[in-house]
Amino acid sequence: MIERLRVGAIVVLIAGGVFFTFVSTTGVLRLPDVYTRAHTASQADTLGAGFALAAVALAFGWQPTTVITVLLLFFIFITNPTAAHAVARAAYESGVEPWREDEP
Amino acid sequence: MSAGDSYTESQVIMSTVKIVTPFVLTYGLFITFHGADAPGGGFQGGAVIGVVVLMLAFAFGIEPTREWLDNRVVTGLIAGGVLAFGAIGLASMLLGGAFLQYELLPIHHPSRYGIEGIEILGIAAIVSGTVIGLFFATAAGFTADAFAPSDERIETQRDDRPRTGRTEGEE
Repeated sequence: MIERLRVGAIVVLIAGGVFFTFVSTTGVLRLPDVYTRAHTASQADTLGAGFALAAVALAFGWQPTTVITVLLLFFIFITNPTAAHAVARAAYESGVEPWREDEP
Repeated sequence: MSAGDSYTESQVIMSTVKIVTPFVLTYGLFITFHGADAPGGGFQGGAVIGVVVLMLAFAFGIEPTREWLDNRVVTGLIAGGVLAFGAIGLASMLLGGAFLQYELLPIHHPSRYGIEGIEILGIAAIVSGTVIGLFFATAAGFTADAFAPSDERIETQRDDRPRTGRTEGEE
């Protein structure tokens, strides 16, 4: 029973990871300017990698490797949004105009 | 506006870098020291160690980092790595063997610690120094007239020092 729950949770987490990575990729390809792309790349990618790593941690079970996976999850949650912040801020400082619907 | 001027302070980036930097440096050393008997090695570890300095430069400004980490340190890192590699390689030749024949070295577990010495003292130092040096060279910026014929370049008042746009006004 508990084993079946674990496998189900792993499948759901991996499905979530694939979904958010797909959304992130679509957003980077389809969205119009650097701000929206940085937004989708970081937000959806953090969740995509986060769900995938959570599934990996569950699949490993109680092992020393799981600690490393959780640490990796922690660092992705810290660094990925910061990277997006840095990209968007650098774009704003160097004068990139945000995309507007009525202009182009 | 030169590349050195574009720094603006960001509390978010500075806080994140402050938290992450010790872990990244530890991780880089971990990869480096595992070169002989596990996945990892001098190239990857050296690149991660070099990236620590890049992160500090992104968070706290390139010019302060350049002043903090003197150019001689970076050059010394690369040159010292080459010297260490050559010294370990030639030591076994002096003892009557081939280049990098670790078995002849008069140390404990010679082939293992010989490779570790090459990885840590040689390759990791060279790679991290090269990453840092190339980053500073790129951050100094280049202008299109750097590639122009030499007689045109004289008029554009260009010196060989790295760009110190911000610090010139303050001093």
